[in-house]
Amino acid sequence: MTVLAGAIQILGGLALAPLLPGAIQALKARLQGRRGPSPLQPYRELRRLWGKTLADPQPTTVLYRLAPCIVAAATILALFLVPIAGLSPAWPLGNDAIVLLGLLALARFALAAASWDTGSGFALMGSSRDLTLSVFAEALLVLALTLAALPAGSTDLVAMSAAAGGSAIWSEPAHWCAAVAFALVVLVETGRQPIDNPDTHLELTMIHEGPLLEYAGRDLALLEWSAAARHWIFLVVAAELYLPHWGGFGLRLACLTAALAALCVALAFTETAQAKMRILRAPALLAGGCLLALVGLVSGLVG
Amino acid sequence: MQLLVLLGLALLVGGTLAPVSHRALTTAAIVLQAVGIALLGVGGALVLFGAPAFGAAFRSGLDPALGIDGLTGFFLATLAVVAAPATIYARGYLVGVTHSRALVALGGLFLIALVGLVMARDPSTFLACWELMTLAPAAAILVRRDDAGVRHAVFVYLAVTHLGGAGVWICVLALAHYGAIGDPGALAAQGAGVQALIILAAIIGFGTKAGLMPLHSWLPRAHPVAPSHVSALMSGVMIKVALYGLIRVLFEWAAPAPLWTGLVVLGLGLLSSLGGVLYALVQHDLKRLLAFHSIENVGIIALGLGASILFASEGDETWAAIAFAAALLHILNHAVFKALLFLAAGAFERVLGTLELDRIGGLLRRMPWTGGAFLIGSMAIAGVPPLNGFASEWLTLQALIHVAFGPSLGLGLGGALATAGLAATAVLAVFCFVKVVGLVLLGAPRRAEAEEAVEAVPSMRGAPVFLAGCCVVLGAVPGLLIPPLMELAPHPRSLAAEPGLSIPGTGSLPSPWLLLGLLAMTGLLWRLRGSRRSAPVPAWACGQPIERSLAWSSAGFTKPLRLVLEAVLRPRREIEAVRERGQLQSIRYRGEVPHLFDTLLYGPVQRGALAGALVARRLQSGSVRAYAAYLLALLLGLLLLVRIGAIG
Repeated sequence: MTVLAGAIQILGGLALAPLLPGAIQALKARLQGRRGPSPLQPYRELRRLWGKTLADPQPTTVLYRLAPCIVAAATILALFLVPIAGLSPAWPLGNDAIVLLGLLALARFALAAASWDTGSGFALMGSSRDLTLSVFAEALLVLALTLAALPAGSTDLVAMSAAAGGSAIWSEPAHWCAAVAFALVVLVETGRQPIDNPDTHLELTMIHEGPLLEYAGRDLALLEWSAAARHWIFLVVAAELYLPHWGGFGLRLACLTAALAALCVALAFTETAQAKMRILRAPALLAGGCLLALVGLVSGLVG
Repeated sequence: MQLLVLLGLALLVGGTLAPVSHRALTTAAIVLQAVGIALLGVGGALVLFGAPAFGAAFRSGLDPALGIDGLTGFFLATLAVVAAPATIYARGYLVGVTHSRALVALGGLFLIALVGLVMARDPSTFLACWELMTLAPAAAILVRRDDAGVRHAVFVYLAVTHLGGAGVWICVLALAHYGAIGDPGALAAQGAGVQALIILAAIIGFGTKAGLMPLHSWLPRAHPVAPSHVSALMSGVMIKVALYGLIRVLFEWAAPAPLWTGLVVLGLGLLSSLGGVLYALVQHDLKRLLAFHSIENVGIIALGLGASILFASEGDETWAAIAFAAALLHILNHAVFKALLFLAAGAFERVLGTLELDRIGGLLRRMPWTGGAFLIGSMAIAGVPPLNGFASEWLTLQALIHVAFGPSLGLGLGGALATAGLAATAVLAVFCFVKVVGLVLLGAPRRAEAEEAVEAVPSMRGAPVFLAGCCVVLGAVPGLLIPPLMELAPHPRSLAAEPGLSIPGTGSLPSPWLLLGLLAMTGLLWRLRGSRRSAPVPAWACGQPIERSLAWSSAGFTKPLRLVLEAVLRPRREIEAVRERGQLQSIRYRGEVPHLFDTLLYGPVQRGALAGALVARRLQSGSVRAYAAYLLALLLGLLLLVRIGAIG
């Protein structure tokens, strides 16, 4: 069991991650009445990019060229931390939720530093917006994780996942608040509407796409894969900690698959139904999420 | 052991006196100081890791005494890690500077004060060293530069730290009066009122010196104007030594601190960490930005200390010890990376003549050693793994999350707010230091001096590189320090020593594996990517060439955040267009984020004090008869009071 969970953790994360944005994209097109690309489109793009030559904007330092590798490396290590169906082999990296945040922060630092290296206005605009939103998103994320850690008494993702299982937890208002709060986090961290528009081709409106503008070839492939892997990480964490699951490993694996599918559908629906909100309004939404999480904590401590 | 410490002290004193006596001895003096402080640091580390305490025990009597116990040992080791490289750095930094002998001597005096303060075992030595510690850097600043702006900064520094520092005198003398220094039980007999008074005096006194908001007003003024090696010591160690005093009072002499103390310290820590990093983000001068970041980090340390007090008052002694160790670990980590950043900033300033962030750029290519060390220090202070800043912030955040677990509602809510605040602080620090790295090290040079910059001399680049190595090592094996630090808590708890941090109730932070994993994975991907390089292309700006005048500025990068937080930061901007005969001649733009603590808090206090002084001046007529009348009035008043039985 544990070996299988470990294999899905790494191979699933590496290989299946691009399927998630692909599926959302395809579903969204259907919902909008278009035929749209196939769910496998991200794989084709990765293959195409892998064969292309690199671009080297001037003047840049080695940091610019290293950044995609650092981003992808941090994301790969993050895959090791996220349990699958409540199980994770005893990797020497542990399973701490806050370490996961740290690794994603490293990726963010590297990409933002690379935007400064090119000096490109669009890249910097994207990273400054990304960081501004992250200030609020990170506070919300940590609060949502604290709520999920409350029943487990630990920030170990395996223990948190176990404590979130079964049906009893759903009679706690705290868990509902945590789930809603985390849904907001997923929207921000995966760069979805109403926070960001992943389909935009207008540089001035880009958030997560902006810092990728200058990259080409394998560098871009690494960054595109990392963005897909962020989808994987956040959706799996959402399924493991905040969505219903129960039973043994097999049943939980089925729950996880169903939850991932449901989350993709939900994201596609949100993308279709919601317009992008003004970027300066987004922090208010996230602050509202923080308040909700605090309400959840109060109910968790009282009840 | 005894020999080691005495030799260290002797070398330090010799190194301070040598430059006074003869010009040729300056280099020898620097070496003596560095070796002396290093020996003391080794002695301190030995005591920390289990050697028996050394010298006198604490006493409330006034006869001078020195000694080293575990906590002192920890602070001596921290001091040495920062001061030895900073002193060596001064060798290169002070070449060609006027009064360099005086600066070397004052640097030594500053070190003696710091060492004396942490080794003091009686109130008189403690207070004497406390004052010396305040005055020595002030003198060093004035020796180096004495234009009006600097004199004003030093005046504010001395005025604020002395006004606030009165709290230290009250606290230490009151503790000595009740015989509580060295005898924790003595204060318990005096009741909660006395204890509350002493704790409040300590928080105000030590908090002012540590730069806790809202008592921080002096810090962003004084740190930027000091010579860089002194800034490194002020920011890296001096404010930590103030926290040493606070720790002694809250966790030892006035222990057990009541619950409200924990909440007050937690609140001040939250305000300092968020406020410090927010104001750091909108600074345009590198050293001033670093000074504000010291406030942030003192805030993070205070969060750890506050959490420890809360855990102790709830009876959770294991987590009380963990939170205490987290705070101490952050003290060490911040000392290392902040000293690194100040020293590197000094090297940049030497080359460029300015530290205005928008006018540097591209130094990583020109100064690979100093620049590389600065990059590592920036990543460490931004709290990204696998460096040391992440380890201690992780531990502090874990402590706060466990405060949020309750059991009581008030504590839980306080813990949750602090948790969210620390998470936001961590992202803001990333925001801030990405900006700094981008503006200073990366991209195209923004002015001619940056294009022609050359690497600093070996002594000046050696110190930052050494400290960068410390950042990596402390980030890889923080777990080796945690057990001895937990032993220093009021209720010691032991934990198995291992390189990573495996704390019960967390998913553990296996830092060595994280470092190895990141290095190996980045290397692997770098190989996979291949080092094929294509023809250079310009960055995309819709077909326009990117010119220097189009380069992104510090203000531009933080604009979204300033807009979002407009209500809190209240930025001001003035745009003035000069037109002549209907033609636009020039546009002048001025934008700033005023420091609200100055305008809203200190401004009214200052105006009130000056107005009060004007009123009081009318009493000083200068005429002897008036003074005789005052004396008579005073005498009559006292007699009246005696008559009605109010006194006597």
